[in-house]
Parts: sequence; C-alpha cells; structure tokens
Amino acid sequence: MSDDLAVELEGVTKRFAGHTAVRDLNLTVPRGSVYGLLGPNGAGKTTTIRMIMAIIAPDTGGVRLFGQAKRGRELSHRIGYLPEERGLYRKMKVIELLVFLGQIKGVDGRRAKQGATEWLELLGLGDWVEKKVDDLSKGMQQKVQFISTLQHEPDLVILDEPFAGLDPVNTQVMKDVIVQLTRRGTTTLFSTHIMEQAEKLCDSVCIIARGEKVVDGSLREVKQKHGGNHVIVAVEKGLDSVANVINDRSLVSKSDSYGQYAELELVEGADAQRLLQGLVSSGATVTRFEIAEPTLNKVFIDLVGQDAATARAEEVVI
Amino acid sequence: MRKIWVVVRREFIERVRTKWFLVSTIMGPLLMGFMIFLPALMVSRGGAERSIVVMDVTTSDFGQRVVDALDVRAQLHATRAVVEAVALEATADSLAEAVGRKELDGFVIVSDETVENGRAEYRGSNASAQIEMEMLQHYLGQALLTQRLSQVGVNPQLVAHANSVTLDMRTVTIRGGEATEQSGETTFFVAYVMWFLLYMAILLYGVQVLGAVVEEKSTRIIEVLVSSLRPFELLLGKVIGVGAVGLFQLSIWAVTARLLLTQRDVIGRMFGLEGSAEAFPLPEVPVATIAVLLIYFVLGFFLYAAMFAAVAAMSSTEAEARQAQAPVTIFFVIPSVLSLMAMLTEPDGVLFIALTHIPLSSPVAMPLRWVVADVPIYELIGSILLLVLGLLCVTWIAGRIYRVGILMYGKRPSPKEVWRWVRAG
Repeated sequence: MSDDLAVELEGVTKRFAGHTAVRDLNLTVPRGSVYGLLGPNGAGKTTTIRMIMAIIAPDTGGVRLFGQAKRGRELSHRIGYLPEERGLYRKMKVIELLVFLGQIKGVDGRRAKQGATEWLELLGLGDWVEKKVDDLSKGMQQKVQFISTLQHEPDLVILDEPFAGLDPVNTQVMKDVIVQLTRRGTTTLFSTHIMEQAEKLCDSVCIIARGEKVVDGSLREVKQKHGGNHVIVAVEKGLDSVANVINDRSLVSKSDSYGQYAELELVEGADAQRLLQGLVSSGATVTRFEIAEPTLNKVFIDLVGQDAATARAEEVVI
Repeated sequence: MRKIWVVVRREFIERVRTKWFLVSTIMGPLLMGFMIFLPALMVSRGGAERSIVVMDVTTSDFGQRVVDALDVRAQLHATRAVVEAVALEATADSLAEAVGRKELDGFVIVSDETVENGRAEYRGSNASAQIEMEMLQHYLGQALLTQRLSQVGVNPQLVAHANSVTLDMRTVTIRGGEATEQSGETTFFVAYVMWFLLYMAILLYGVQVLGAVVEEKSTRIIEVLVSSLRPFELLLGKVIGVGAVGLFQLSIWAVTARLLLTQRDVIGRMFGLEGSAEAFPLPEVPVATIAVLLIYFVLGFFLYAAMFAAVAAMSSTEAEARQAQAPVTIFFVIPSVLSLMAMLTEPDGVLFIALTHIPLSSPVAMPLRWVVADVPIYELIGSILLLVLGLLCVTWIAGRIYRVGILMYGKRPSPKEVWRWVRAG
C-alpha cells in the first residue's frame, strides 16, 4: 500500500456465467509510468480495465487508485478513460459534447470548455468546434474521443486498445500524446495485443493470458529474465546453406526463421563467437550478425504459447 | 447530485432543440383549435341539404303525414310518391337509378305494415349517416304516432298539441354533495381530453426514454458515461430530463388551450364565425383536478419510463428495442382502454374502482374517475400510495436490469438471464 502507485489490484477475480474472466490478479502501476497490459484477445484485459474503472465490480479482491480505496467514479475528475468501444452523441455540437463529458466527470463547466477548446486547437479541429459530431469524419471523431479522455488533465489515463481502428495519422497523434503526457508526469495504463506498440511506449508491462498473470515488471526486467541469449543472423546464400550450424543443438536451443534473417536463441552459457566462427568456417558470407535482446513479441509468444496467443473462440465482451 | 443535474440539462436541451419537439408543440394547439371551432363551423355551414322521396304504398294518407312531419327540417326536402303495391319494385328500381344519378339522396318506403307493425325501409346514398338516419326515424315515428292516434279518433288538434313539445334534459354533475355549473356532457368532455392527454403523454415520452437509452447503447457512448456516473444516476437523469420536456410541452399546450378557450369568441369572429362560445361551452377545470392530473402524469410516466428503460437496456439496436417494447406498450394500452370503457359504461362500478387502484392502470384511470365521480380523499391517497409502492418496485428491478444490460451486446437475453441480472445486482 504505497502512495507511489497509481493503480493497485490485489487478488482480483471476476467470474461470468460459465467461465472465469480474471483469476486472482495482482497488479501494480507505478505513478508516472507508461504501463502496458498485454495479452491475446479474450485474455481478460477489458474486464480488468472495467474493474479498475469500477464499471463492473470484482467478485473478490480489491482495487486501489492513488492509494485510496475510492471507486473510479468518485475520482473520475482525475482519470481519463478511453473504452475499447468508442462512441459519441452524434447529434450534439462538438464543444457542447466535450463540456458535457467533462461535467459528468465533476469538472466545472467553464474549465471543461477551456480545456476542450485548447485541445481542439491543438489537434487541428479549431474550425469544427461548433459543428455537429455527425458532420465530422471518422478520423476527426477519433480525435474528439481522445480529447474527451484527456481534456481535464487527468493524473491517470486508462486506454483500452487505444490503437485499434485508428488511421495512421491518428496512430501517430496517439503516440505523441502518450509521450507528452508522460513528460507531464501523467500515468498511462493501456492495453494492447500488438507487442510492437507496447515495446515502443511502455516502461512496465503485465502479460496476462486466460485471465491469469503470466509475468509483470519493467520492460527490461521482463526481457532479461525471459529473453535468454539471442542472436540475429543473415547469410548471403540463404539460411538453408548454414542449416547444419543453426541446428547444432549444443549451441542453438531454438531458431525462428523469418526468411531474410533468423532469430536464434543460444543454449544457456553458450558463446555467440563460437556461432560466428561456425558460420564463417562453413563457408557462408555473413551479412548480418547481431547480438540482440529479444523482441517483446518473442517473449510474449514464448511465455503465452502460440495457441493462447491466437484469439479465443468464445470471446465475451463484458 | 450535480452529475444528475448535468444529465437532466443535456437531455432537456437536446430534446427541446429537435424538430420533433417544435412540430408537436405547434401541432397540439392547432388540433385543439380545430376541435373548438369545428362545432361552430358545422353550425354555420348548417349541414348538407337532402332531398328524399316518400314512397307511399299505403291505402291511407300516411305518406302525406310523413312529408308534413319532415317539413319541419328546412334542409330536408321530402316529396310524396303514391305507388301501387304491384309497382313497388319497379318504382324502387327507377328511384335507385335517380339516386345513382345524384338527383336524389334516397327514398323511404312506407306501407300499411308501417302503420301496423312500425316497419319502414330507407334506401339511399346517405344510409350510413347515423345522425341523419336517427332524425328520419324520429320524424317517421312522430308521423306514425299521429296516424295511429287519429285512427282511434283522437282529436287531431290534441295530437298536434301533444307533438309540439320537444324535451330538453339538462344534465348537471354533482360534486361533494353539491350540484356544479357543469353539464354532464362537459364533464365527459373534460374526462375524455384528460384521458387522451395522459395516454398520449405517457406513451410518447415513455418511448422517448426507450430511444434515449438505446441510443447510448448503440453509439457505445454508454461506457464513457458509466465510468463517470453510477448507472442509476444516469438513468434517473435521463428519465427526469425527458419527463421535464413532457411537462414543458404539456404546459405550453395548457396555456395555449386556455387562451384559445377564453378568447374563442374573438378568434372565431376573426374567421367570420359567430357563436363559437355557445357551440363549445367552456369546461370548468378546478385546480384540484389539475393537481391530480399532474401527480398521476409524473408517477405514471416514471413507472412506464423505468420499464421502457429496462427493455431498451436489454436491446442492442434501435430496431431490436422497438420490437422488445411491445409487451410494455400492451401493458399500458390495455389498462388504459379498459379504464376509458369502464368509465363510459359504469363510472361507479367495481371494475373502474379496481382499475383506479392497480398501479399499472391507476395513472390513467384515477384522473378519469376524479373528474366523472366523487372520489373519497382516502381512496385517492390510497391509490397514490399503491402507485408509489409499485413505482419503487419497478424502478428497483428496472435499475438492476439497466445496470447490467447497458454493457451487454449481442443476442437478446432470455428471461432466465434477465432474472439472474436482477438477483445478482
């Protein structure tokens, strides 16, 4: 129980008719961090986030926000939440909608209007303030949605699959916004099943699968602990020409070929230089040899397993 | 509390700004004006002129008596045609052709049998016009009476004297043991208007709540909302907001109705109509009646709005909600129509009294009964208490369904599932 934590989950379990969506989950999000909640579809990410927001109540366990036992709604003026399913009142004027969404979070009307106007200018929607939401393009509506999440300068931003369905321009905007928020000291928690995004943005992650935590910690810790000894190799005549070296089980424990190059995991304690020697002495022209830390995607697949990483058939929304 | 107020205000402003609100607000007084001036308009037009033939197959001068009796009506031109019994069908056919050519509106066949058994026949293009037929029957009956009396030798002058009186019965409503200035007809009119207003308002605005809830679900904004507000706060705010729009519209209508009624002579004259005031007597509506109307509108609206909201929460799309609302609508329409019928047939009957106490029907039935009958004050209080109790139960259940339902998408839940939502709460 520390004040340094923005979000704290303790032994949280949620069951729905017939299955357990989240089981005994412990999770700590340090203040000021960018925290990634990672997992395949149906792993329980949205359920976890909804419990953090107190939209649904956990069956057992507790949620603490900013070290307090208050519910998300009571702190809604300090939290910005972007749900997975996006939506706005289509017939309302942009500015009135944003002020309304600010006010129901407990923000004073005048302050809400000021915040909304600033953000609209910032994201290039200055000319659309008085227009109806319906008149906006989809990309603009996405921006309005971000603004509604961020306009009241929250201390904690919770984004459920923030990059899903975004066009490339808005994906960039979203990334910039997250980086900017972090600089201001805002805590960001976001969920995704796309590891590349998490790898670029997060300093801490939690990987969950089938409702249970697989691993959590800072990104570096997770990679070091579960990454192993990795080497990326490419040779001129193709990887098949050096198959005997790559398949040497005393040296290489696992290999992943991507066509142009292969990512090899070395046996614990093995020396990467021996591998290089082996390749050179086999007569191949080495075009790439890189001692690499593993990608998050590889860690994810190693830990969760290929089968769990693919979407579950019965996906339950709540 | 402040958050509820924000929801109420948004709901109210957004709704009042719609075209639907503008159109219906204007249409209301127009319709009322039409109803008020229609009687005067009909009087000034004086109804349609009719010309008919009295086909006399009798062996007496009964046909002439009928023509004389009908002569009293200026708009009715009756001519007698004496026909032999054998030529009856042939004449009838040629007269029917005349009706077809629109030279004639119809013809009435009288025979000796008419005088003996009271059997007559009318054939004409206006045979389905109820008022005209009743009038014809009335004068025919009068002629028959005179004929029979003179047959038994009663002095024709005496018969004429007896016939010259028409009865005019005034109906006066008794309230609290005292006769009022209000005629029975006006009381009925007030009751009917109240029934219509309550019925329309509760149904229209209840369906608006349905639309409001399902809109938030189908646009998926609901999740943002419930992350800031408790679902019950949101529901309460929406229902109050929509209800406030209803009250606002009703009061606009009430004010214009009052203006139309008090100024109806002035307005009538502007359109060249005299006697609008006589043609449409001003109903007296005491403050207590308006209070009862308002109490039952508010409570009834909340009751049905809660049910509509629960139904909407179970549906994912507008189309689905429209389908699912049918049971609720039936729950409302049947007791409402039953109340109106009970009032018309037996205003102090057991059925009507029962309907004014059952929470599903009392919002419509009690104001009706309050207008047409003398309702003891303890019954009024009892009925309101029962309604409030019913409202609390329904809101409790609806709130639980709403809370779970608004986050559910996909296939509509089975009754068993809904029951689980209610219990899980």
